Amino acid sequence: MHGFFEIARTDFAATFGGAWIFPILAASMVWILKAEQNKTLKLLFGLLPLAILGLYWCPLSGLVFMKLLGENVYWRVLWLVLPAVTIPYAGCLVLKRLEGLRRYGAFLVMLAVIALGGQKVLSAEWFEASVNVYKVPQYVVSVCDLLPGRVHVLASNRLTPYLRLYDPTITLEYARNAMGYNEDSEGPVAELYNAVQEPEIDIDVVGPLARQQACTFLIFSISRTYVGDWADYGYRKYADTDEFVIFVDENYKEGEDARKWED
Amino acid sequence: MRLEILLTAGFFLIGTCLTGYALCRVLRLKHEGILFSVVSGAMFWWALMELILVPMTLNLKSFHDFTVLYNILIGICCLAGVFCWKELLEDVREVLKTSGRYLTPGHLAAFGLICFQLYFIHHHMYLEWDDTYYVNLANEAVFSDKIYWVYPETGSFADFDKRYVLSLWPIFYAWLSRLTGVIPTIMAHTILPWIMIPMAYGVYELIGRRIFAEDRELQGMFLALAVLLHLFMSGTHTSGLTFLSITPWVGKGVLAAVLFPMLFYLVLRTAGQEKTGDWILLGVTCMGGCLLSSMGIMLSPLFVGVAVLLTAVYKRKFRYLCCGLGACLPCIVLGIYYIYLKH
Repeated sequence: MHGFFEIARTDFAATFGGAWIFPILAASMVWILKAEQNKTLKLLFGLLPLAILGLYWCPLSGLVFMKLLGENVYWRVLWLVLPAVTIPYAGCLVLKRLEGLRRYGAFLVMLAVIALGGQKVLSAEWFEASVNVYKVPQYVVSVCDLLPGRVHVLASNRLTPYLRLYDPTITLEYARNAMGYNEDSEGPVAELYNAVQEPEIDIDVVGPLARQQACTFLIFSISRTYVGDWADYGYRKYADTDEFVIFVDENYKEGEDARKWED
Repeated sequence: MRLEILLTAGFFLIGTCLTGYALCRVLRLKHEGILFSVVSGAMFWWALMELILVPMTLNLKSFHDFTVLYNILIGICCLAGVFCWKELLEDVREVLKTSGRYLTPGHLAAFGLICFQLYFIHHHMYLEWDDTYYVNLANEAVFSDKIYWVYPETGSFADFDKRYVLSLWPIFYAWLSRLTGVIPTIMAHTILPWIMIPMAYGVYELIGRRIFAEDRELQGMFLALAVLLHLFMSGTHTSGLTFLSITPWVGKGVLAAVLFPMLFYLVLRTAGQEKTGDWILLGVTCMGGCLLSSMGIMLSPLFVGVAVLLTAVYKRKFRYLCCGLGACLPCIVLGIYYIYLKH
């Protein structure tokens, strides 16, 4: 039971914390329940969000939802509370009673309350300027433009989430969360992944594994340092960008379909 | 890119509008207007996709086969809509005649805020970690012609991830990509926001019209306040409203920002007048929610169930409760199957 309340409290704070949106929502619900004359509207705009919040905090229903949805996404139940329906409706119940300039004035005050009470979503905290229509980082475009396509790649962690967004013909040796829930934690892929995470890449370890796993291209951050010689394992420098260096299997022929998993 | 955005948005708008008119005629919902038709048409498209995509995916059909079948069905829906040209023309005339009435301070404020949001999102990017799974799922469908049999993050062959097999929303924009020839990554990141954001606010406009039918000015103010709340929210989690700005292409985002308000709107309609057509449309919308996310399978019936239960208790009508449960039936069936798949 203590665990349930801990999760519910944490998720609630993470959803409504850092701004005044929840107090505004709570006040809106109270106002709707008090001021609305139409029982159906009172029910749907005032009571429904309250009932959902009740279900969210109720251990009995909450534990069932956690079982069905998963503990780590319990906060998604809060999506069913619709602040953009309840708060504007409560505001309009006030505006309905006013006319002319007083209505416009009150409307402006409400806009200001929301803007000042909430956290700005369209901000640098969430977004960065877009530099290409794919909306992936430019360093990904720079690397992909050098790669021939239809090849098997072992890439730096910074690149793995985005390479296939730009060029889906590339196959990757491992993805993001390589050692997490998506991939095996043992075997040659795991060994390779762990080997390239080392502060200094030991080519005598990575080279044979990369060859065994049929990696045609190896891409590392330009700042990485190495022990050994890539040539000993049949790799040579192919190209580099401002941030990455690309090695290629010497046996690779330009235009060859070197994907590990062909169609 | 402007041309691709215009073409995709134009196709979506006209296609869903025609489908909506056909649907309204079948459901005997009269004089609902263009906006209602567009939104209900989109819900129908998604429900139809869910209906054919799940069996086709489980039967290992190719993406090409799927697009052929879906194109034919959407073509039939649009053609059926063309036969409703009289109603459509009537509504267009009505819009042209009354367009001046939309020049209220609220509508103007909302329009300005929506334009700013679209402009900002078009010129900025949000790096969504999960895109490597979802967007690449669409990329794989287009490039390898396989639906869900390739692990999207690496390109390797994989068994079904049972968490998502019933909710393959990325296939929807893979389909749009196939039609327009744009890679799904660009479709998701650059084009879909231009469709999903106006559609989400279209639902709020419908809610406003429903509750303030006689006061156009209040409708506009309701919309403006709703739009502003999407731009100023709270929390460190991606709450339902912030999704619309940061990831309007993600199924969960569309679920939270478009589908739940739409469910609310339809419950509001059924609470006011119990038309069979509204109940069916509620069921269609619940089914559409299943395509968007596995959360849709679970949360849509929860939302509709609670709303309908409260209303049924107030109305003291057992029949109302039964109709509500009937509308949740697609989610209940898929929910049971989802639990079966996971265990």
